[in-house]
Amino acid sequence: MSCVIINYGMGNLASVSKALKKTGISHEITSDPDQIAQASRIILPGVGSFQAAMENLKSKGLDVAIKKAVNEGEAYLLGICLGMQLLANKGYEPEECEGLGLINGEVRLIESDLPVPHMGWNNIAIRRDDFLKDIPYPDFYFVHSYHFVPDNAEHIAATVNYGKELVAVVQNNRVLGCQFHPEKSQSAGLKVLENFFSANHA
Amino acid sequence: MLKIRIIPILTFNGFALVKTQRFSNPRMVGNPIQAARVFNSRNVDELVFTDITATYQNRKINLPFVKEVIDQCFMPVTIGGGIKNLDDINDLLKIGADKVLLKNSFIQQPSFVGEAAKIYGSQCITVAVDAYWNEERKAYLLHNKEGVVLDAAAFASMAEKEGAGEIILSSVDRDGMRNGFDINLVRQIMAAVKIPVVAVGGGGTPEHYLELFRDTDVKAAGGAAIYYFTQFTSYDIKKLLAENGFPARVIPNSTGDNFMKLG
Repeated sequence: MSCVIINYGMGNLASVSKALKKTGISHEITSDPDQIAQASRIILPGVGSFQAAMENLKSKGLDVAIKKAVNEGEAYLLGICLGMQLLANKGYEPEECEGLGLINGEVRLIESDLPVPHMGWNNIAIRRDDFLKDIPYPDFYFVHSYHFVPDNAEHIAATVNYGKELVAVVQNNRVLGCQFHPEKSQSAGLKVLENFFSANHA
Repeated sequence: MLKIRIIPILTFNGFALVKTQRFSNPRMVGNPIQAARVFNSRNVDELVFTDITATYQNRKINLPFVKEVIDQCFMPVTIGGGIKNLDDINDLLKIGADKVLLKNSFIQQPSFVGEAAKIYGSQCITVAVDAYWNEERKAYLLHNKEGVVLDAAAFASMAEKEGAGEIILSSVDRDGMRNGFDINLVRQIMAAVKIPVVAVGGGGTPEHYLELFRDTDVKAAGGAAIYYFTQFTSYDIKKLLAENGFPARVIPNSTGDNFMKLG
């Protein structure tokens, strides 16, 4: 099993890599499309704007490599924070922009009376536990101003309440996206990573 | 529901962890790497690590050492000390820091905060407001070695306008004294800004924390002396807060070992 963290200039790779080390998962950080296309577990981290992230992925041919690994191969994909949002068809940060389209839906600005970004520890409500089993405490660390609105409610694996219900985790078969940062969420976050690596849907 | 945050503040002198009283008399209290590991195991909500001597000794923060501290942490970490330019910020974010803490660079050049926020996002730019009560002027003033006389609330408000995402507010008068938070100071700063404020200084018992959250609108509190010099842990603080109806992330197994009391 080969695991890669995608390096496309948009994210806190050090923290994700450190969390994988802590859970005993060997992995490589790469921006090589061939290596990504052949990987069996792929992590797409990300901090920054949707549009800039898509531009970076496309300029290196990484969008094609990710889709190939998931659609033609049997890879599992985990998107974290912005990486989760990129799974959608479309984003609006800062302007309308096409996403990876691996889970149907859009990414919109959070409209709330509460301060945006939604930042801090918040508890999630789990709907589908394929990747969310045995979570010791359901509090996770969030930092985001935009949120994922899936077309199909079946793709919502967990929600979080911030004045209103927001999507915290999306899942479509082997594709998982966490709006929170598992790598910053102590034992609960490490458990999600462990689940991602031990899952076997193939 | 979003949780209130309890945050240990680690102050470092370039060699060891130190704890000051009223911002002076630093006393050595241990090894930062070991401390960070224990705080992580106790599930503190975030950690702040700041090199309080870097600026005055005109040196950079020791990146390999800071990385070792960050590597112990699986929660958000804020790093401060001697940050002068965008490269310094970039270096810290690259080794896994989530936020940086600015003070002197902001006093000297307020637009620096805006520049940094534009590139890295407000959420990772934190400004330190160290304030003391001035009896003569009957006002809270900014503690600084630049000789700048500034109203603390005006300084906090300026930080917000420039683009800071958070303020770490330390009471110089209560620092290390364990005699309760400076509620009036916290109220004044909270009235001046909308961004999150972390209240620091004076928390010596869980009851002090309860008083702070009950009597102000603050949603985060920092501390250090309570962890070094009392029997209380972050668990004790959060448990009392939760019992009183505040949303706290209380994780029972984090009381655990007693061979090393920290966190």
